[in-house]
Amino acid sequence: MKNVPIDLPIPTEDLVSCVSCGLCLPHCPTYRVTQEESASPRGRIALMKQAHHDGVVDDEFVEFMDTCIQCRGCETACPAGVQFGSMMETTREALATQTRYQPWWARLGYRTLGWQKALRAGSALIALLQRFRLVPQKLGLPSIPIIQRPLVSSGNDVWLFTGCIMDAWMRDTHRAVQRVLESTGAGIAFPDKRANCCGALHVHAGLAPEARRLALRTMQAFPGDAPILVDSAGCGAQLKDYGHLLDSDAAREFSERVLDVHEWLAQRLDDLPEKTGLSPRIVVQDPCHLRHVQRAHESVYQVLGRYVEAVSLDDDGLCCGAGGAYSTFHPQIASDVRDRKIRAIEEIQAEEVASANPGCLLHLRSGGLEVRHPLEIVDGLIKKDE
Amino acid sequence: MVHKSADKKLLSELRSFLGDRARDGDFELGLYAKDGSVLKGDPMIVCLPTSTEEVQQIILACRRYDRPFLARGSGTGLAGGAVPVGDPVVIATAKMNKILDIDIDNRIAWVEPGVLNLDLSRELSPLGFHFAPDPSSQQVCSIGGNVANNSGGPHCLAYGVTSAHVAAIEVVLPDGRVALLGDLTAESPGYDLRGLFIGSEGTMGVATKVAVRLTPNPPEVRTLLLDFADVRDGAAAVSSIIANGLIPAALEMMDQRAIEIVEAFVNAGYPTEADAVLLVELDGLPGGVEHGVEVVRAVANRHQVGSVRVAADDAERALLWKGRKNAFGAVARIKPDYYLHDTVVPRGKLVEVLEKVYQIADAYDLIAVNVFHAGDGNLHPILAYDSEEKGVLERVQAAGRAIVTASIEAGGVLSGEHGIGLEKRDYMGMLFSAHDMATQDLVREAFDPDGFANPLKVLPSGSRCSDSFGQHVPDGAWV
Amino acid sequence: MSRVEDIDQEVLEFAKIVGKSGPVTVVGGRTQWAVGGPPEPGTREVRAPAGIWSHEPEEMTVRCGGGTTLGELSEQLAHHGQMVPFDMPAEATVGGVLAVGHSGLRRLRYGDIRDFVLQIRHVDHTGQIVSSGGPTVKNVSGYDLCRLMVGSLGKFGCIAEVTLRCLPIPAITRWFTGILDPFEVHNQLYRPSSILWDGNRVWVCIEGVLSDVAAQAAIFDFEEVAGPPSLPAGGRLAIEPKGLRTHKQESDQSWIAEVGVGLIHTDLPAAQRHINDVNVSLMEELEERLNPNNRLNPGRQVLI
Ligand SMILES: Cc1cc2nc3c(=O)[nH]c(=O)nc-3n(C[C@H](O)[C@H](O)[C@H](O)COP(=O)(O)OP(=O)(O)OC[C@H]3O[C@@H](n4cnc5c(N)ncnc54)[C@H](O)[C@@H]3O)c2cc1C
Ligand code: SF4
Ligand code: SF4
Repeated sequence: MKNVPIDLPIPTEDLVSCVSCGLCLPHCPTYRVTQEESASPRGRIALMKQAHHDGVVDDEFVEFMDTCIQCRGCETACPAGVQFGSMMETTREALATQTRYQPWWARLGYRTLGWQKALRAGSALIALLQRFRLVPQKLGLPSIPIIQRPLVSSGNDVWLFTGCIMDAWMRDTHRAVQRVLESTGAGIAFPDKRANCCGALHVHAGLAPEARRLALRTMQAFPGDAPILVDSAGCGAQLKDYGHLLDSDAAREFSERVLDVHEWLAQRLDDLPEKTGLSPRIVVQDPCHLRHVQRAHESVYQVLGRYVEAVSLDDDGLCCGAGGAYSTFHPQIASDVRDRKIRAIEEIQAEEVASANPGCLLHLRSGGLEVRHPLEIVDGLIKKDE
Repeated sequence: MVHKSADKKLLSELRSFLGDRARDGDFELGLYAKDGSVLKGDPMIVCLPTSTEEVQQIILACRRYDRPFLARGSGTGLAGGAVPVGDPVVIATAKMNKILDIDIDNRIAWVEPGVLNLDLSRELSPLGFHFAPDPSSQQVCSIGGNVANNSGGPHCLAYGVTSAHVAAIEVVLPDGRVALLGDLTAESPGYDLRGLFIGSEGTMGVATKVAVRLTPNPPEVRTLLLDFADVRDGAAAVSSIIANGLIPAALEMMDQRAIEIVEAFVNAGYPTEADAVLLVELDGLPGGVEHGVEVVRAVANRHQVGSVRVAADDAERALLWKGRKNAFGAVARIKPDYYLHDTVVPRGKLVEVLEKVYQIADAYDLIAVNVFHAGDGNLHPILAYDSEEKGVLERVQAAGRAIVTASIEAGGVLSGEHGIGLEKRDYMGMLFSAHDMATQDLVREAFDPDGFANPLKVLPSGSRCSDSFGQHVPDGAWV
Repeated sequence: MSRVEDIDQEVLEFAKIVGKSGPVTVVGGRTQWAVGGPPEPGTREVRAPAGIWSHEPEEMTVRCGGGTTLGELSEQLAHHGQMVPFDMPAEATVGGVLAVGHSGLRRLRYGDIRDFVLQIRHVDHTGQIVSSGGPTVKNVSGYDLCRLMVGSLGKFGCIAEVTLRCLPIPAITRWFTGILDPFEVHNQLYRPSSILWDGNRVWVCIEGVLSDVAAQAAIFDFEEVAGPPSLPAGGRLAIEPKGLRTHKQESDQSWIAEVGVGLIHTDLPAAQRHINDVNVSLMEELEERLNPNNRLNPGRQVLI
């Protein structure tokens, strides 16, 4: 595609807020592995400026935008307060609606996520293939059960959001989270199937209308005013952003109720069971959507720190390369980025890795690491005490 | 933006050995048009070499097609040094980012020019060493850029600037030959070409390897934050600390506006109601550090200090420094654009010149923010503005000139660390006579008689005999 | 004192003395006269102006004539508790020391003498004054001719005026000695000012406040001495610092080395050192432009 006209509706004041100081560059995973200005936040913003000004884009431009993992590491690093995430979302939306950026097959794929039956059928198929050892180990997929036991509500003090892929593939993690939450004396409610996709991946892909549809549907699944807890950092970030995405009071009120499950627990550390026995040494990987977007990563250390020696990485929270569907579309960059992360992890002598985001968790597992959700680790330690 | 179409033959020649690392895409070229300054140029072709040999081949190809070239590190320079004017081929060193050898016995590390300053110090840290020059941009600026600009940083007050920390440099000269300037001995034979190259802003060739000296990490570090209700007391305290025979590792100052914007970014508990703060760092052996803390406290008390806060631990210290090091970028929180100045004045003149800076900003209806290396009198007045405002650029330029003039009148110099580049070359005559500049040009010419390396930089056009690639700072350069 | 208009009368007069023609050399304290070989016979000898023209203690900078002796300079600075750690004979002149470019014994801590130079005014081969650098403690305005002038043996100009950065005199300076592994001493002590070694005995200079000096000295089995040993008066041999480890075995001459710096003081005259062709050609280009008729210090050789 060459010189396709485009209208990039990014507010000028956002575009000019970048003073091109470059301080974000080392915090950008794609710049780190490519050393390409075009794969850096400063570069991408300059490109947006140019497209905004010239009103045309081409394949080169699309490629530069598409390689962004949307980890928003640049946002926390930027002293000027540049709102990179929303600029990138607007750009992707403009590309998706005004160009052939997202072909039909990709759109179909994203649709499946919010379509429980299709996702279940697909997952069951993978599960079956796994039984016959037809799925390569290195994909790092969890062992998917062919028949899923349902999650059972135990009260209505807090909601636990379940999501799409995580629910289909990692329901046992939800169960572990439920047990930890219940150990504080809380009763847990699970939403119905209207809440089976938060729409995060759609926003990342520029499919905002679809994301808005999913958001409205999801909100209906959480009546009342109980806190809505999320055990996937990516979904949590998205639910917290509904206020901005839908721009309505109802959505803003909804977003106010959303907390990462660790944030909620960190406020009730004393209600958690005492620790006994060993404190294994665990490296904590900060998911971008927890650290750079929700800015709530400290809570993981607080909760985990009660039971284990929680060690942080010395890499300023650089992304691991998972980025939702990113690793599927840009396997090379994703694995180069992951290699950096693995090196950083391996420098620390630890028994296991904890990651509060299923996407990161799977991505790191496929890199050969032992990774569990922090609350699965906690759940294991609590159970032993009983 | 409309680009001149790249010289097709040169491009295909470059592609023959660089492959897709020679670029001419419209969008991509636009990314190499600017550095951290407010100036903008127009690159012809961008090359991303990975070795000395490739740099050499690029330069030889440029020579064959009579094309100038320009080295670019991380593009954080603030004087337009890496802004391409005169249609050059940009040689970006970003992919030459390997630490080649860490030689503890010699206290030397050999690095490629694209290695980021902080990456190097982080790599050295477990071994007990660091690279002393620490520009506020250290997380992203390259060692090659540091060498080219002879960069400084907060800790250069005690440790000296880049020149004192570089033993040798491998350079591809503007005629394509490869030279090793300096060596690992204390007294390298012949003239100090190494010293001459450092700070030459890419006009004497492209650095392709650098041997940097390693500085041992201090056993004890103490960071103090002093606040003052009057910026004049703060500035006077700076002079007195030094006059008391104490050279802190770092001695930085921020004025009220700077404190506010920095605090909004880092939440480090900077006192936003103070008129000025000093960030003082003492390092070394425990006794000396303790003594230093006492001297600083005593001096501060004599100058009506509000409070003296001593960072309790590494985390608090890191947070205070994070605020200081991100201050420039954070200025964008008040206005979208800023023009950052860099002059040095005698410490004793700090108060006087600071007051002039505020007056000048007022006179031109601009906002001035001051955050700077006070210990060595290195002012960094920042003029914040919105380029969308009509006629604002003229005012910013005029105010800038007035600030430089005031600094020089106070016995200061044009630049303490950012260099002359494109931005200040036409100011050189304020500090140097025509004969001084002609002599400097003779020296440059010894390396690059035809003016192929980074044309139009450092010296005003009149003093260069070989400006074949254009005469003036292009009018369109200001953005 | 940054601008051309501010040039002192003494400097202007010196320019006249140097003049526009005829071979000329500057005489200092004659403490390192032999370095680079003697000037050709018939070369006119001139003296650079002497005197401390400004010393502002709170600026920690001093501006003086190139002919000022280190003795005079040290005395003035010491008055205010300051120093320039050149560590050369008192009768040596500032300009001479810089033209030769050799650093003193405490380089390990304080670095090269060239890094103390802020501004130089010299008289070039045309008899005109050239200013480079600037009077402030930090400066990157223009090409760094100051660094080039240091160690150039006056081939590029006669140093008329120098502005230097000063340091506070440390509270305490102590020399210690012992029979020790010098490399171990270098690794264990934090930034000592000097470590000397004759292949057997080590001398260390430790400076700072009393408690630090005492604690550092206590790390090893040292004995306090009045000062450094006297150095062999022959030549200087500069090698990579780590090369000293092997130097010990090879050499049977008496020598004293600066550990961590890699400088060996010997009884033998300085050995010639090879400069590669590319560098020689660059240096010749410089000489051709800055000293085209070789009227400045003819006979002396930087390029050997
Ligand atoms: C937020 C911020 C804070 C800063 N703080 C400081 C500070 O505290 N102290 C300070 O000194 N500076 C500071 N700077 C300025 C800047 O970061 C330094 O000048 C830095 O050294 C430039 O490095 P760079 O890699 O970005 O070089 P670039 O901007 O890419 O290039 C700078 C110059 O170096 C030349 N160059 C680059 N690489 C080579 C090479 N390999 N060979 C030859 N020439 C080369 C270029 O041609 C150009 O002239 C700051 C800048 C910013 C944006
Ligand atoms: S996004 Fe922020 S950190 Fe990055 S270049 Fe722009 S202003 Fe600087
Ligand atoms: S969101 Fe992440 S990948 Fe994208 S530009 Fe920012 S730091 Fe880079």
